[in-house]
Amino acid sequence: MTRSRRIKREPSASRSDTSASTSPERGVDDDNDSFMSQGNDSQSSLAISLSPDADDEVLRRAIEERCRVSPISRLPAELMIAIFSKLSSPSDLKHCMLVSRDWSRNSVGLLWHRPQTNKWSSMKNVISTVRKADSFFEYSNLIKRLNLSALGTEISDGTLQPLSGCKRVERLTLTGCSKLTDLSLTAMLTDNRSLLALDVSNLDSITDKTMTAMAANAVRLQGLNITNCKKITDESLEEVAKSCRHLKRLKLNGCSQLTDKSIIAFAHHCRYILEIDLHDCKNLEDDSITTLINEGPHLRELRLAHCWRITDHAFLRLNPEATFESLRILDLTDCGELQDAGVQKIVQAAPRLRNLVLAKCRLLTDRAVLAITRLGKNLHYIHLGHCSRITDVGVGQLVKMCNRIRYIDLACCGNLTDTSVMQLATLPKLKRIGLVKCTNITDRSIQALAKPKQLGHGAMAPVTPSVLERVHLSYCTNLTLQGIHALLNNCPRLTHLSLTGVQAFLREDLIVFCREAPAEFNEHQRDVFCVFSGIGVQRLRNYLNVDSPSLNRGPLFDGDGTMFDESDEPEMMVNVTAQANGMVIEEDEDFGEGSEMMG
Amino acid sequence: MAATASEPKKVTLTTSDNADISVEREVAERSILIKNLLEDIGDNGDAIPIPNVNEAVMKKVLEWCEQHRKDPPASQDDDADSRKKSTDIDEWDQKFMQVDQEMLFEIILAANYLDIKALLDVGCKTVANMIKGKSPDEIRKTFNIQNDFTPEEEDQIRRENEWAEDR
Repeated sequence: MTRSRRIKREPSASRSDTSASTSPERGVDDDNDSFMSQGNDSQSSLAISLSPDADDEVLRRAIEERCRVSPISRLPAELMIAIFSKLSSPSDLKHCMLVSRDWSRNSVGLLWHRPQTNKWSSMKNVISTVRKADSFFEYSNLIKRLNLSALGTEISDGTLQPLSGCKRVERLTLTGCSKLTDLSLTAMLTDNRSLLALDVSNLDSITDKTMTAMAANAVRLQGLNITNCKKITDESLEEVAKSCRHLKRLKLNGCSQLTDKSIIAFAHHCRYILEIDLHDCKNLEDDSITTLINEGPHLRELRLAHCWRITDHAFLRLNPEATFESLRILDLTDCGELQDAGVQKIVQAAPRLRNLVLAKCRLLTDRAVLAITRLGKNLHYIHLGHCSRITDVGVGQLVKMCNRIRYIDLACCGNLTDTSVMQLATLPKLKRIGLVKCTNITDRSIQALAKPKQLGHGAMAPVTPSVLERVHLSYCTNLTLQGIHALLNNCPRLTHLSLTGVQAFLREDLIVFCREAPAEFNEHQRDVFCVFSGIGVQRLRNYLNVDSPSLNRGPLFDGDGTMFDESDEPEMMVNVTAQANGMVIEEDEDFGEGSEMMG
Repeated sequence: MAATASEPKKVTLTTSDNADISVEREVAERSILIKNLLEDIGDNGDAIPIPNVNEAVMKKVLEWCEQHRKDPPASQDDDADSRKKSTDIDEWDQKFMQVDQEMLFEIILAANYLDIKALLDVGCKTVANMIKGKSPDEIRKTFNIQNDFTPEEEDQIRRENEWAEDR
């Protein structure tokens, strides 16, 4: 059945067959699957079938007549398509389809490029249209993007199967459609040579069969997300590596059966890999990591969280002459074997690292931190939570050398004192700071964070308010209301403040501004939970400034800080939050909170 | 620019109806077609034939080029402009495009032929704005288009594309 559908019917005479009929606006990418999003890599063309009974001569005369009375008929197909591509609403495009034969031919490809499949009603209509034997157009060949993730578990093999005739789909997104099995997936992938990106994350019943079908067909594949597809093994992924050589983005996290075998195959065959996420691939060993970095000149992002077996050797064995200038993001969370020598080598081999996550690499000491300082201005994001051996000496050097740091997490670094935080407070671009369970710190630290920043040196240098947005202080048990009040009044952009387990805040009148504890928390966790976010931060600030009877003892601020005019803050706050949400690339909303959960 | 400020270089264009139009080279070079021609053949002072555009349309197009002579060059990436489908048009361009349909479509054809991407874009947006929110019948009336579907065909297309009304 799929074969007969692929036969192109002879187009009847019309000006539209003299042009290439390709949409000039192909690259428009407003899908929300950021994992798949990239530039215009589509080479699709519109295959349009015409109603078979059009008569050449009659049509030609009709066209001449139309050009005379209707000037728009002078535009060739490609210009009509250029016009239609400016229309963003499907209903406008549908209305264009109903205007005339010419108009329908030139608009149908744009309308069906990415059909609406976010509601059952539209989904059902799309399926029944695609299945029809005598449809007005060959709609199945026009679909380039299919995203069924909005319907999630409502999607079954029976839903996807009828769409398996769509052999030109370039982006197939099935995130969380967990009822799907190899049955419909293999049907969907067989004979599709156009696929550029496949997202089947959390489809935990699919197996090597699906991957083998993909390997045999999707030779142009660039993005693959098989997060948590736990049944997939090395066997099929080695085939994928061998045939899908254009792969750029790979998410294999949680595919717990994978070993070095398949990862080394990817490293050898796919030379354009930009990003690879191997989070929770616990069987991986040093060899695969060394090979990935050595063989991947473009590798930009490497995520290895919880790959427990990785040791310093993964990095010490890197090609000694090479530096890996492309590598910007390296996540080694909970790679507990890693030691200072490994970090020293990492920094030397990848001098342009921007994000470095070393949380729970518990063996690291100040020597590793001193090595990291060599990243200098390149370093924007550093996570050293649970690296409990590091001290004020390391943090002091880090602040001195890496003054572009925006995000830092030092949760559970129990040796740190106010000295560290007072240094950190001088970082001009610092937006987030995580100090959960840094139990030595006191209000002095918080006063320092609240203090406006002096730009440049000297008494005349301009002063600017703190740009802090998110502050994590749970289980910093020495903190009092006074310090936090100063922080609230001096950080106008503050949108998140966590104070779980801080006794001074576990009061009825303050807890009301706190957000709900996560559903999975037990009773004790609920009792101590104390996180203010968004509007809650504003309410807490207002309350402390105005309403609190027990606290109304005049303005509270740090030594030379200024109070901010509260009146113009709410709007600003919304703006800042929106920006923060828009720019995320490496965001981990739970920044610092993993530690809180443990409490 | 500074070097030629005293006497800007001029070129002559010969339109399809044999009119010669003299225009500053910088203005004419908003057209990539003309720019490439001048670069290929060298500016030897000869008139450049533009056989697909008549005098009235050419003058209108050059009026646009004059207004936009200092615009930054179109970005290399073809998709940069189309990424946002927005049909916003700046005020001067909106006024410029207030012409009869005959002229509107001639400008679009000329912009396409002369390879002036920004003008083509404004033209397409103008037409898209004339389509937006209209029923098929209103669209036909706006552009004087004959409905060549049978009622059955029209009904079939309506049913097959029902999903597109859902929003």
